[in-house]
Amino acid sequence: MDLILEVEGLHVDLPLPAGRLQAVRNVGFELRQGETLSLVGESGCGKSLTALALMGLLPPRASCRASKLFFEGCNLSTASEKTMAQLRGDRMAMIFQEPMTSLNPCYTIGNQLVEAYRQHREASRREARERAVFLLEKVGITAAGSRLKQFPHQLSGGIRQRIMIAMGLMCGPSLIIADEPTTALDVTIQAQILALLADLQQEFRMGLILITHDLGVVARMAHRLCVMYCGQVVETGTTREVFARPLHPYTQGLLRCIPVPGKVEPGSDLGSIPGLVPTPIGELRGCMFRNRCPKALPECAVEDHRLREIGPGRALRCLDAAAADA
Amino acid sequence: MPDRVLELEEVAKTYRVSAGAFRGNRTLRAVNGISLALENGEVLGLVGESGCGKTTVAKLVLALETPTSGHIRLGGRPLTNCDSKEIARQVQPVFQDPYASLNPRKSVGSIISLPLRALKIGAKASWDQAVGEIMEVVGLAPHLRHNYPNQLSGGQRQRVAVARALITRPQLVICDEPTSALDVSVQAQILNLLMRLRRELGLTYLFISHNLAVVEHLASRVAVMYLGRIVEEAPTRELFRNPRHPYTQALLGSVLTPEPGLGLPDTRLGIAYPNPIDPPPGCTFHPRCPRAAELCRKQAPVPRREGGHLVECHF
Repeated sequence: MDLILEVEGLHVDLPLPAGRLQAVRNVGFELRQGETLSLVGESGCGKSLTALALMGLLPPRASCRASKLFFEGCNLSTASEKTMAQLRGDRMAMIFQEPMTSLNPCYTIGNQLVEAYRQHREASRREARERAVFLLEKVGITAAGSRLKQFPHQLSGGIRQRIMIAMGLMCGPSLIIADEPTTALDVTIQAQILALLADLQQEFRMGLILITHDLGVVARMAHRLCVMYCGQVVETGTTREVFARPLHPYTQGLLRCIPVPGKVEPGSDLGSIPGLVPTPIGELRGCMFRNRCPKALPECAVEDHRLREIGPGRALRCLDAAAADA
Repeated sequence: MPDRVLELEEVAKTYRVSAGAFRGNRTLRAVNGISLALENGEVLGLVGESGCGKTTVAKLVLALETPTSGHIRLGGRPLTNCDSKEIARQVQPVFQDPYASLNPRKSVGSIISLPLRALKIGAKASWDQAVGEIMEVVGLAPHLRHNYPNQLSGGQRQRVAVARALITRPQLVICDEPTSALDVSVQAQILNLLMRLRRELGLTYLFISHNLAVVEHLASRVAVMYLGRIVEEAPTRELFRNPRHPYTQALLGSVLTPEPGLGLPDTRLGIAYPNPIDPPPGCTFHPRCPRAAELCRKQAPVPRREGGHLVECHF
């Protein structure tokens, strides 16, 4: 499989009145063709900002640096805004959480799909329209021709999200970033949209970065995952390994928090992670999770932790030696 | 104390909605004849997709809306005979989004004591103490009393919402998606809290949610709603082991448990959710039903009850 994305040492800072918020710290990962990588974590862990940094869509006041940020051989950290605009929507596409707010209510679906295509390709309106109909059918929308004349408000949430996916695919990108693509949808629709996304990804051999807080979605969709906490990656590995043998106390805590039909006795107390997520402002030292960690040692507060490789494709940011050696 | 806390009998609620300019009004049947009963100490889970009428049921029980037809009885007394303050004493809501349901300009103490002040429960002097007590019960540190909602985390806010609901010592708490706006680890904290409070205070919950894993964990009985009708109702264990209605089966099938390697389920539901203003004839589920037959297109099924298991399907 070909490497399409290489990220190393990505930092995103946001200046706030209270100080510099280090929202993303030293994040690194790789993505290959046809692979799904999931960024998992709770709100505020930096997963969305990581995605926005890749797309060059960070808010203007945010500052971003990376030791390596390569997409299909192109260095994104030095790319001009013009180059980024050419890549966005063409080679890389993003699907957002809220299909209601990410479609323009004033234009028809057809207009928006055609524009997405003609922005990057020298194609006639008719060709673009044919491409739009082809993709709408691909994403399971019936009577695609007549849908093109409809406005976003005439469509249900599930259909809108399908249209967002079709729009992302218009130019045949090699990378799709989906930021909580099904959080706003019903469970039955969620399963359908995810299945659709997985099928299309395999068909077009795209790399998919799936950002979510839903561990069920991760388990069913991702090949590999990065668990993020407070702007850092705390554990990575293949989905099978991490779910079968979570090593970081945060990952373990997260997995205990969700009721699993058939596994967790109904009515029994769920595991929960005590305390609150700290705000990464000011000088940060030691493990960010130590105040909530059941296994915290005095050293956790002192040493700065590296993401240690503990196996092929498996890394862990935790001092707890027992966990790593197990 | 009567055993039956809440009873709904053939309750319907219709809204008049505009069908577009110059086209007049049309009827939207948000709740279309549902019957439910909640025993004391029970947790009834109400599940269904958005737009199926779950929240309208909550509003009807809270007397925020009046039913178009049918009867609602609270503790054996018809809701129409109770005055709104009496209802508020017995039924309290916890809403989905603690960022929207708390007044940002009031302190935590003032938010929690509002029901006492509004309903004039007890002496003024006792309110302070009551707030302190309930804050302890829901696990809020006493010093937070003078804080404002924007200084609290999502979990703390939802605890404030729970405290506000419980301060009148209601019998029935309506939880409308109480954890879907929260993070996973916080969701577990709030669910544990709700379960502990039920045991300790003997509360009855109407628990509205679209998260079936959560409902299975919490509820003793589950009712599944589709387009304003309850299509299946059974004790939780029975419903999850032996779902009869194809819609329930599809819902259960679409739960994504964190088990890698299982792949994504195929719900075979089709992509069209019917327009509730213009529901399909016959069984409203037939356009999406994998088992639909000729009969389903023509005739609406009548609910059948076998033991504690109610199902509305021809098969």
